[in-house]
Amino acid sequence: MLKDDFVIQSEVRRVLVRSHIEYAKLTFGTVKGVVYIQGIFEVSRYYTDGSSESMIDFSMKTLVSLEKKIRGIPGVIDVSFKFLNWKKEKGQWVPRKEIEG
Amino acid sequence: MGTEERDRGLKAQRMSVYRRILLEIEKEVQIHPNYADLQNQLGLLLAVRGDPEGAESHFLEALHLNPRYRESILNLGYLYIEMNRWKEAEDIFVSQVRKHPKDGFLRHVLGVFYFQAGNRNKAASHLRKAIQFHGYCRDYYQKIGVWKRGRVHFDQKAEKALKKIRLNYHTAQFHNFIGLYLAREGKPAQALRELKKAARLKPDEFVFHANLGTLYYHQGSYRKAIEGYQRALKMDPLYGMGYANLSYIYGLMRRTREALRCMERAVHLSPRYADLHYNLALLYSDRKRYGRAVSELKKALRINPNYLFARINLGVLYEDQKRWKEARREYRKVLQITPEDEHVRRRLERISRRRG
Repeated sequence: MLKDDFVIQSEVRRVLVRSHIEYAKLTFGTVKGVVYIQGIFEVSRYYTDGSSESMIDFSMKTLVSLEKKIRGIPGVIDVSFKFLNWKKEKGQWVPRKEIEG
Repeated sequence: MGTEERDRGLKAQRMSVYRRILLEIEKEVQIHPNYADLQNQLGLLLAVRGDPEGAESHFLEALHLNPRYRESILNLGYLYIEMNRWKEAEDIFVSQVRKHPKDGFLRHVLGVFYFQAGNRNKAASHLRKAIQFHGYCRDYYQKIGVWKRGRVHFDQKAEKALKKIRLNYHTAQFHNFIGLYLAREGKPAQALRELKKAARLKPDEFVFHANLGTLYYHQGSYRKAIEGYQRALKMDPLYGMGYANLSYIYGLMRRTREALRCMERAVHLSPRYADLHYNLALLYSDRKRYGRAVSELKKALRINPNYLFARINLGVLYEDQKRWKEARREYRKVLQITPEDEHVRRRLERISRRRG
C-alpha cells in the first residue's frame, strides 16, 4: 500500500538523526515511495580500535544497517543512495578512493 | 549504599564530566583559537567555575572574532553584573536594546538589571515593555508577583525572584551547553538531566525548551517532544524551525493534518528554507492539492536550483496531472544531472510517446 510521502520522509529523518551519522551532510527526498539520499556519508562516532581498516569496516556495517532500516519503513518501494564518498558495487559498499584523500 | 552516599557519588561523577568537558574545550580552543563559538563556550565554563577574569577574556575574544555574536554579548553583560561592573553591563544591554527595541527578552534583561542596580523607575519601564513585546513575560511576572492588576510591583517576593533570575543565567546556560555536548556524545540520559536543569533554572528561555524538545524527538518520546516545542513556541512565536520540527513529529505520529498546519506556519516564518517548501509540497501532494504542491516545489527550486528531489517530485506532479510536456522537461533536467537514475529514466520512457 502506498503511504504518504511526507510520513515516509519524516520516518527517514528519524532514522538518520538516530543512526550516529553526520546527518547535516546529507540531503534526502521521497518521491512516490522511492527514497533518495545524497551527500557525504560520515559516521559521527566510531566504536573501533582506531585503525583505518576497522573504521572502514565500521562505516560499511553502518551503511548496511542504515539501508536495512530505510527499506524497512512502511511504504518504501526503493532507496537510491548517491554518496560522494561511498558507492555500492555488486551489492557491497565500498569507499570511493578519489574522494577519500 | 545510603541516599547521601549515592548523591555524593553522583555529584562526583557529574563534576568529573564537567572537568573532562572543560579540558576538551580548552584543547579545542588551543587548536582553533579563531572559532568564536569555542571562545564563548570556554568563557561560559570558566564563569561557572568561578574564574570571571578568565571568562571575560574569552568572551571578549569571541566578540573580537564576531562582534555580532549575541550569546557572547549577553554572557559578557551578565558577567559584568556578577562582577558588579554596572556601567559596563549597562552599556552592553542598552546598546542591544537600541538595536532591537522590540526584543522582549532584552527588555526583560534590562528591567532585571536596573532593578539589581537600584533604579526601580527604569526597571519598571523595561519590564512593562517586556510584557508588551514578549507574551510569555506577562504570565511569568504574574507568577513571581512582579505584575499585579496591570502594574509592576516590587515587593519582597518580587525582589527575591528577580535576584534569582540574575544569579541563574550563567548556570542555566552552562547546563544547557553541557546537555548539548553530552547529547552529541550519544549520552541522552545525562544530556536530558542537564537540559532539564537548565530549563528549571531559567524557565523563560525558549532555547532550553526547544533543545529539550529536540532531545525527546531524537529519543522517540514524541509527546514530550511536542510539549517542549510548544513551550518554546509560546515564548517565541516566531521560532519557525520549532513549527517545522513539530510538523515532522506529527508526521511520525500520522497526524498529517496537524503536520500540514505546522509546516505552513514554519514556511510563513522561515520562507528562505528550501527544505521547508519541499516538505510542505509533500504534504500538499499527499492530499492531492497539486496546484499548491507545484507552487511550493517551484519556490524550493528558486531558492536552490540544484534541489534534485524537488525537481523529481515536480516532474511526478506534472505527470499526475497529465501535463506530459512539463513532466518530460523536468525528468530530462534530472537526467542531465544524474543520468544513472533508473526510476526517472523509466518514468521518462513511459511518458515519451504521449502527446501534450
